Amino acid sequence: MAEKLSWTELRRALAARTGVSEKEAGAFLNAFSAQLTEALKSDKQVKVNGLGTFKLQAVAPRKSVNVSTGEEFTIEGYNKIVFAPEAGVKELVESGKQKEVKKSEIDPLKKLGAQAEEIVDILGDLGQSPKEEKPKPEPINEEPERQLVVEDPQPEIVEEPDIQPVVEEPKPEKKKNHFFRDVLICFIILLLLLFGAYFFFRAQLSNWIDQLVQQPASEPQTVQVVEPAPDPIVVEEPVAQDPMAQKLHYAGWITEEPMHQDSRLAWMAKRYYGAKIYWPYLFDTNRDRLANPNMILVGTPIRVPELTAEQKDTTNAQTLANIEMLLKEAEAAMR
Amino acid sequence: MLTKEFIGLVAEASKLSKKIVEELLTTTNAIVRENLMDGKTIQLQGLGALEIKERKERVIVHPRTGERSVSPSRNQLVFRPMANMKDELKKI
Repeated sequence: MAEKLSWTELRRALAARTGVSEKEAGAFLNAFSAQLTEALKSDKQVKVNGLGTFKLQAVAPRKSVNVSTGEEFTIEGYNKIVFAPEAGVKELVESGKQKEVKKSEIDPLKKLGAQAEEIVDILGDLGQSPKEEKPKPEPINEEPERQLVVEDPQPEIVEEPDIQPVVEEPKPEKKKNHFFRDVLICFIILLLLLFGAYFFFRAQLSNWIDQLVQQPASEPQTVQVVEPAPDPIVVEEPVAQDPMAQKLHYAGWITEEPMHQDSRLAWMAKRYYGAKIYWPYLFDTNRDRLANPNMILVGTPIRVPELTAEQKDTTNAQTLANIEMLLKEAEAAMR
Repeated sequence: MLTKEFIGLVAEASKLSKKIVEELLTTTNAIVRENLMDGKTIQLQGLGALEIKERKERVIVHPRTGERSVSPSRNQLVFRPMANMKDELKKI
C-alpha cells in the first residue's frame, strides 16, 4: 500500500500553509467531512471546486437467486457514492503517470490496423507479462473508458468525415427516386383498398338493391332502416301485413328477434325449435326481409313463427316435403 | 450542490467565516493534489480515502469501426468511501 496522508498531517499542513490555527483547521476539516455527507443526503450531488464532484447514484433493486437454495429474492435498491474528479485534477493525475508508471513500457495510443497483427501483438504482450491478463475484466469506473474511446480513435475520426459526405450526397437523388416509387405504391394501395371495399360491400349493396326493388312491388313499406320501428309493437302485425310472402300457415308467433352479429338462421332455429333443420321456416316467414338468407344485415328483425306439432314432426312426409321445398327456395335465393 | 453553497454549509458548521473556509478549502485541495502526485493516499476522516489507482492496459474496441486497439495503462483518481459513510447514504 502506498503512503498515506493522514487527517492529522493534512490538518497540520493546512494550518502551516494558511496561517490558521491548527484548531481552526481541524474544525474546518471536520465540518468539511460532516457537511459533505449531509449535503449528499440533501442534494445527492456536491461539487467541490479544485477536487471534483461527489455524487449519490441510485442503484435500482434487482432480483437475485440464493446460490445454495435456488430461492429468488430481491436485492433492495441503495445509493452508491461516486466521485468524478475535476478535469484539471484528472489530467494532472494522468500526466503524473509518466513519472510513476515506469513498469509498463507501452507506447501510448498504440494502434493496430490489422486485427491479425493486433492479436499476435496482444498474445505477445500477454506472454511477456502474465499479470496483464487481469486488466481486461476490470472496468471499475466507466468514465475513463468513454474517454479512451474518444481519445484513441482520433486518427480514425479524420477518416470518417470523408466517408460520410459520400453517403450524404446520394441521398437527394435517392429521395427523388423514392418519391415516384412512393406515389406509385400509394396509388396501388388505394386501388387495392377500393377493390377490397367493393368486394366487401358488394353483397350488402346487392341486398339493399334487391330489397329496394322488391319492396315497392310487394308492399308500400319503407327501406329497411325504418322497418324495425313499426314491427316490435305487436308481434302479430307482420302476419297481417305480409301474408302473401310466406307460403305456409303458422299457428302464431313466438317473437321477433333482431339479427345479431354472429347469429345464423339455423342457430335461431335450434334455439327456438330444438334443431337446425327447421331454419327454412324462418326463411319462409321473413322472405320480405331476406333477399339472401346467407347475407343478412345485422339488426334485421327476424320473425319467429310458432310451429305446430305437425310442422315439427320430421317423420311426417308432408312436413319434410314442405321443409325441402322451403330449403330449395332459400338456396335459390342464395344464388 | 455547488461549491459556493457547500462553503456556506461548512462555514456555518465550523463557525468560521466563509472567506476563511473558501481559502482553507482551496489550500486543502492544493495539498491533496500535491500529495496525490507524490503517490500518497489521502485519508479523509469520516469520508473515506482518495487514491490514485493504476488502470491497466486493456483491449478496447472502437464502437463504430469495430477496430481493436490497446488502451495504454493510465492512472486515475479514485474515491473509496468508508463503510460508515456508505451505510449512512445507502438509504436516505
